[in-house]
Amino acid sequence: MTQAELRLCSLLLRENFGEIVEKVGNSLLRTGPRPLRLLVGDTGLLPDQVKKALCVLLQHGLARYEPQPRGAVEYEARGERVLRILRYPRYIYTAKTLYGDPGELLVEELLLHGHLPMSSAVARVADRLTETMEDGKSMDLSEVSATFVRLADTHFIQRCAAPPAAPPEAQAKDRFVVPRLGLVGKGKRRHSCDEEEEGEHKAKRQKQEGGSSEPPPDDGIYWQVNLERFHQHFRDQALVSAVASRMDQTSSEVVRTMLRMSEVTTASGASHTQPLSSNEIFRSLPAGYNISKAVLDQYLALLADDPLEFVGKSGDSGGGTYTVNLHKALVSLATATLESIVEERFGSRCARIFRLLLRKKHLEQKQVEDFAMIPAKEAKDMLYRMLSENLVALQEIPKTPDHAPSRTFYLYTVNVMAAARMLLHRCYKSVANLMERRHHEMRENKRLLEKSQRVEAILASMQATGAEAAQLHEVEEMITGPERQQLENLKRNVNKMDASENQVDETIFMLEAFIESTMKRP
Amino acid sequence: MAEVKVKPEAPDPMDIESRIIELCQQFPHGITDQVIQNDMPHMEAQQRAVAINRLLSMGQLDLLRSSAGLLYRIKDSQNASKMKGSDNQEKLVYQIIEDAGNKGIWSRDIRYKSNLPLTEINKILKNLESKKLIKAVKSVAASKKKVYMLYNLQPDRSVTGGAWYSDQDFESEFVEVLNQQCFKFLQSKAEAARDSKQNPMIQRNSSFASSHEVWKYICELGISKVELSMEDIETILNTLIYDGKVEMTIIAAKEGTVGSVDGQMRLYRAVSPLIQPTGLVRTPCGLCPVFDDCHEGGEISPSNCIYMTEWLEF
Repeated sequence: MTQAELRLCSLLLRENFGEIVEKVGNSLLRTGPRPLRLLVGDTGLLPDQVKKALCVLLQHGLARYEPQPRGAVEYEARGERVLRILRYPRYIYTAKTLYGDPGELLVEELLLHGHLPMSSAVARVADRLTETMEDGKSMDLSEVSATFVRLADTHFIQRCAAPPAAPPEAQAKDRFVVPRLGLVGKGKRRHSCDEEEEGEHKAKRQKQEGGSSEPPPDDGIYWQVNLERFHQHFRDQALVSAVASRMDQTSSEVVRTMLRMSEVTTASGASHTQPLSSNEIFRSLPAGYNISKAVLDQYLALLADDPLEFVGKSGDSGGGTYTVNLHKALVSLATATLESIVEERFGSRCARIFRLLLRKKHLEQKQVEDFAMIPAKEAKDMLYRMLSENLVALQEIPKTPDHAPSRTFYLYTVNVMAAARMLLHRCYKSVANLMERRHHEMRENKRLLEKSQRVEAILASMQATGAEAAQLHEVEEMITGPERQQLENLKRNVNKMDASENQVDETIFMLEAFIESTMKRP
Repeated sequence: MAEVKVKPEAPDPMDIESRIIELCQQFPHGITDQVIQNDMPHMEAQQRAVAINRLLSMGQLDLLRSSAGLLYRIKDSQNASKMKGSDNQEKLVYQIIEDAGNKGIWSRDIRYKSNLPLTEINKILKNLESKKLIKAVKSVAASKKKVYMLYNLQPDRSVTGGAWYSDQDFESEFVEVLNQQCFKFLQSKAEAARDSKQNPMIQRNSSFASSHEVWKYICELGISKVELSMEDIETILNTLIYDGKVEMTIIAAKEGTVGSVDGQMRLYRAVSPLIQPTGLVRTPCGLCPVFDDCHEGGEISPSNCIYMTEWLEF
């Protein structure tokens, strides 16, 4: 892992789990798989502490263990998984938009606890929801478990893999099976979950009979969040919004329908979705859209013809079969990200040169000036600036064997993968910087924060004991006006930095998805 | 009876020359040595050579090399009068410049071709310029380079730069203005198409504009002093494509439809950008000029970053 990634991982671990876990995680990330003894020696902590830290890491899926042939067990940290901690807010927000409050809280609980059995997850969420509701009402467990089942159906959560001892066959099929639970909630309702779906194969339905009511019946079946599925969803979202901005709303709805239909049938790393016939798409359009079949066909033809090439026509059966070209879409989105970064950093003329080089691959200095219609001096200056930032590379083509500069062609070119990786690295460093700055701000104002916390505690206790308004007022006065202002500023700044961390994370997601998709292709 | 020896009369040198000139005038494309020999069979080769040399030095004959051998051609009398005052070297230089035609030739190239030293060349060039036989034109590619061409020739486009250059200066404001005008035209066309709310095929087709339409629009606007051709407009539209504001498709058009070139037509359409400005550039770190020097505990660090401080105060 690069330095920037390591730094970011250690910051995330420290913020979420504390210093001991951070030390252990750091050591694992830097040195690779090692057994427990060496780990204890490295970090200089007590063996007990190291064991507990490892438990935490394993529970959250941030580390793995593997029994080695000589009896020792080696532990290995998973760096990319640690970086996903940054994205937790986005996962939770997506669950909220798709499944409402129960969904949001379920995903939050699962993320915060790593692994949870279904019964305890549902119970916790129901309690939390009950707290926020009005007095006298309480949340029905069955509603929450219904949401849980829906999450499992659409693959957003999955069962945890059993320890390596179990045969891998059984695991793959049962990844999304929800166990039968007799949840004794309000009103003693029995809830029977009887859906079974496989991860990559077609769905099969099976009825399960009988019911059990001893708690907890699903002992040993733990659930975790399926991050891959969320990533798929984010990618689809980005695609749909790109189509909406380039074409119009209806086209984006068509593309969204196509993507929704291929959610569970397409493997997560595929470069194309399965072919969908136009009749199927017509049947699956959302109810509000009553466009006729002919108009739908026109939209599909337009999408297939568009220079963006997001949708391709793969045959004529069933009224025309269409696929969504996922890899191409990711490439377009990633190059658009690169272009926007160049535009904001260097100006729109530089962006023009950048796009020109992306299209024409290799160009001489003179040709760049001619095509971009920029005066020679400025073009030269911009090209050199971009070259110094390594966004643009020079390719030498010598005319003579001795590579004399006056007799060599120098061609400018853009290496998209290299530029993407470099900018990804920059993103990681930026997020780390933002986190550092946030901690710094909190540290600076620690005294003030403590004071305000004390005042609040006093206020709360006084209110509980029924003090008068004057006394309350006096306590509030302990925080002066300027201090209040400072607190306000602090809160605003911290929120701003949090929000921008999330925004940079969006860029990280885009670039990572692009790099992954390009590396996977043969 | 004594034998009368008939002494062959030595032909008069002047006669030979005038005869040769007559022959040349008969064959304006040039005559070879063979032709002269056939005409005057009794002449010796040496006398022929002397006569031809005299004509060449007087500037009345041109010596050319062809696949069949050497050719002699009558020199244009007007030219011959022009060059009368000059000597051989100047004639040679003038010839080289004449051969370069429209594009002109650089002084170093003249030197290579004529093998004359630099000082001589410079003197001759000054001489010819003062006689108004050649002129120097500044090349737009390398601003210090001067190319020489005949006085009455128009410099080629590649030297002066064409419509975008006026007096060797690239007119960037002109290009900018054209850029914006073309974009506005395409944008309004796309909006009109979107508001028409017909079925999507027609909507999209009507939002396209061919390069010919744009050309007509720009001509009618009359913002250009110079006459612009369709290729010029296409280069402007290409810069709009590189700006990411416009996309292009090529369709096959019937020959004869207005604006089609070789059976193809280029259509342009204004588009909106694919994504919003991305997250990284919304933070100070994305645009920071000293990003690489920044690390915790250093002079430049996130804790004391002035850009962040400014950004937080917004």
